[in-house]
Amino acid sequence: MRGWRSLLPILVFTALYAAVSLSVTNSYYQLVMTLVPVWAIFGLSWNLLSGYTGLISFGHAAFFGVGAYTVVLCQIHFDLSPWVTIPIAAVLGGIAGLLIGFPTFRLQGHYFALAMLAYPLAILYVFEWLGLQEVTLPIKRDNPIAYMQFADHRLYTLLALAMMLGTILLTRAIERSRFGMALLAIKQNEAAAEAAGINTLAWKLRAVTLSGAIAGAVGGFYAVVLLVVTPQSVFGMLVSAQALTVAMFGGVGTVWGPVIGSVILIPLAETLNAEAGSRFPGIQGVIYGLAIICVILLAPEGLYWKARDFLRKRSALPAAATQSAPNVPVAAPVPAAPARVKRSVGTGDVVLEVRNLSRSFGGLKAVQDVTFKLRQNEILGIIGPNGAGKTTLFNLLNGFLRPGTGEILLGGREMSGRKPHELCEAGIGRTFQIMRPFLRMSISDNVVVGAYVRAKTDVEARKLAADAIARVGLSEIAERIAGELTTKELRLMELARALAGQPRILLLDETLAGLGHDEADEVVAVIQRLARDGMTIAIIEHTMQAMVRLVDSFLVLDHGAVIVEGEPEAVTRDSRVIEAYLGKKWVAHAPH
Amino acid sequence: MGQDKIEDNLSDKISKTSLTRRTVLSGAAAIGLSTVARAQQPAEVKVGLIVPLSGIYTRPGQVMRMGAEMGIEHINAQGGIKSLGGAKMKLVVIDCGDTTEKAKNAAQRMVAQEPDLVAATGSYLSSFTLAVTEVTERAELPVLTLSYSDLLTDRGFKFIFQTAAPASVQSQLGLPELMKLAETASGKRPKTVAMLMDNTATSVATAKALKEKLLAQEGLQLAVEEVWTPPLSDATPLIQKVRSARPDLLLFMPNAVSDAKLGLEKINEFGLGQGKIPTVSFSITIAEPDMLQSVTPEVVQGIMTIVANWGCKGHEDIIAELKAKYKEPWATQNVISTYGDMWLMKAALEKAGKANRLAVADAFRTLDGGPAKYYPGGQLKFDEKGRRVGAGVVIVQWQNGVPVTVFPSDLAQSSPFWPKKS
Repeated sequence: MRGWRSLLPILVFTALYAAVSLSVTNSYYQLVMTLVPVWAIFGLSWNLLSGYTGLISFGHAAFFGVGAYTVVLCQIHFDLSPWVTIPIAAVLGGIAGLLIGFPTFRLQGHYFALAMLAYPLAILYVFEWLGLQEVTLPIKRDNPIAYMQFADHRLYTLLALAMMLGTILLTRAIERSRFGMALLAIKQNEAAAEAAGINTLAWKLRAVTLSGAIAGAVGGFYAVVLLVVTPQSVFGMLVSAQALTVAMFGGVGTVWGPVIGSVILIPLAETLNAEAGSRFPGIQGVIYGLAIICVILLAPEGLYWKARDFLRKRSALPAAATQSAPNVPVAAPVPAAPARVKRSVGTGDVVLEVRNLSRSFGGLKAVQDVTFKLRQNEILGIIGPNGAGKTTLFNLLNGFLRPGTGEILLGGREMSGRKPHELCEAGIGRTFQIMRPFLRMSISDNVVVGAYVRAKTDVEARKLAADAIARVGLSEIAERIAGELTTKELRLMELARALAGQPRILLLDETLAGLGHDEADEVVAVIQRLARDGMTIAIIEHTMQAMVRLVDSFLVLDHGAVIVEGEPEAVTRDSRVIEAYLGKKWVAHAPH
Repeated sequence: MGQDKIEDNLSDKISKTSLTRRTVLSGAAAIGLSTVARAQQPAEVKVGLIVPLSGIYTRPGQVMRMGAEMGIEHINAQGGIKSLGGAKMKLVVIDCGDTTEKAKNAAQRMVAQEPDLVAATGSYLSSFTLAVTEVTERAELPVLTLSYSDLLTDRGFKFIFQTAAPASVQSQLGLPELMKLAETASGKRPKTVAMLMDNTATSVATAKALKEKLLAQEGLQLAVEEVWTPPLSDATPLIQKVRSARPDLLLFMPNAVSDAKLGLEKINEFGLGQGKIPTVSFSITIAEPDMLQSVTPEVVQGIMTIVANWGCKGHEDIIAELKAKYKEPWATQNVISTYGDMWLMKAALEKAGKANRLAVADAFRTLDGGPAKYYPGGQLKFDEKGRRVGAGVVIVQWQNGVPVTVFPSDLAQSSPFWPKKS
């Protein structure tokens, strides 16, 4: 139901656009009306990869051009109609996406963007070398409709519009499924996404394949509209730039962005060509460029997000006045952190066993010969001064780093050297010292990302996420945007994200960092409740006081090695621990 | 005369009304009358010029515009279209931009917004002309073009008329003449040839014709063949190969002034210039006025190029006017052909006897206007593909800082000299 209602604006827009295009009789305006959805689709295709994953592609022309040449060459050599070859173009575009994506996804950030830039430019020269500088779609005077050659240009607009609607619906379906969640998670933090059980490479390959397929199809259609295909017109730098321009102008990471961008920019450019260009040739480029610069400066994320934030703020203002009171107690009432309840430790099954784990970075032995056991329902505190190797140990445990030597046995199975998403699937959940929330998403959307590793369906994932949110006490504010939350709420949300994957072991990396005393107590209470419910936890922490109340036993690291292991009371009195933390001279003052 | 009388009557009738209203009404009456007059006998006939006036191809577009404006001016000064009662020709200029998509959009705009155009000419680059004529063919607007890609007139189109010899024919026409020239001037036929070319559509088409047929036909052996993708960043490796092979003839085929400059400077630097190895090109790039901004006249002295058209004997007045009015030092094919296109359109309009694009197109198809005055060789007549019958080529040679026509002899402004190996 909710899905249908949100579809309404899209359907209304499409219907309105179709109505307007049908009323246009001037063939030039008809052509412009056709090009708007064409570039919108291309922008949507770019958005599907780059908008959602954040991996900027400067080379989408590669897929576009493959599609265009497929349609033209198939008609010239095999007399195949675009009705048949546009779907073929989509398949080839998809294959091109896969072939390009597989090697290129090893790169990140600017390196990825630059590598993508190279593909269409290289292909451009290949097509020139093949002697395909200028190819035209043969005119079909006998049976034009069968070859998608319409005398009435409005049919092209309707066809493009239908393709655009299809692309929008597909994008929306992806956006709301685990596919979209996985891509968004990759965009926010690829490492965190892996840790949350997402096979990032597989999802990125799916995204680039689909994106390439859409670009291939629309490239094929573009050839039908343009009638002449040259390497520059389909593989050129300007083509790739067009996808970025419409998407970034309208808004990245939303279906509306490329559509808004295209609806404004394409007619604007044409009007400038027709009006200003005829009086001062060349001025159109200057005005067009300035317009884009202004919008990017004023709305760096695109018009859609600017407008949405503006509307939200306006509707939030009157609402805030009435809602401010119940907003104050944000988290569910949590009983004040009780003193540590002595529980029977050391009797449960061993869930995680680490044997002689080591890892060096060059000459630095970050973790050396660490051995410990984590039993069912135990809370293990890992402490040590800065640089002791605590976070490195976690990174080894959840697969971010490969161990140099040693074994990690999870439930008796050797797991060392596995990928993070595999370890997550096997039951290791973790949070991060530096929080990586997905700021534009609500708490429940943030948490559901972590649930997909366990859930088979979207419904199941939502249920797991809701449970996890309830366990950390954030149910009341589950629909709030992460960007509006306090540090404590963000910490709890990250905890819920780890919990949503139903891990057997939780690795918490400085969960209490940056919290005030009372806030820390609240979070400690939540962790204690989790432990009471049977969760096994390893926690890194600096705040000794909180830790002493929380943990069942300590593992003290210094210079990457275990120096002491044991119950809190014993460990805090140990002279080696005091020396490691405070230096030698304090050992004398310590109570013996 | 009659118009004045009616106007007087009208103003008498409404003399009681206020001055402003009277003025407006009489003005309206005048406009109404002139519309009636135009319907009987068009006061002007619109023709289109669709060329690049923005982006990197602006310069040739501007030059084509000069040719068109001069043509129209001359036609109108000589009494306009006589069969249409002396109707004046009016030029509609449309910028086709610097991409194929912009060209296509501009063409669509032209046919949609200027429904009374009877003919057009354009669009410099063959890629643009291809896109433009896809639109004009469907709108049944006849288009003249200087672009020489064979593909233009191989599509079975009925509304395109190619005034220049197609690319495949140009080298076929030019090369044998060049060989004759070499033989008469130096006493022996060249035996070996080096070919340096960029990979644009025109060069590729020319090279194909050369390699598949013409070189063998002329008994030439291809010693070096090198292809680059514009822009050329360093000509050293190309020229080194030429130097070590020492061919009798160098075919140097750039399509950008910057590439031509780099290549020619390197040829001179290696001591191969000024006739050590006779150098021949196949495009107008090497004879553009821009060349002299980059290189000295000594560097280009003696270099020849085979082109579709050039300012020739008999065009002296036009060349002088071009110099005076637009400060252009000489008339390239872009000026002369576009100038000639206006006269060709006039001829078709005279034949059609009405300002209607279908009639004009028909006139182009059936025209038999005798020897061509502004195109080299052949007649003002088109075959069933739309190619000008007997279209020839011109060989141009740099002589003392000016590229002059040296072949065919009836059009030559100067005699050719064959650079001799020292």
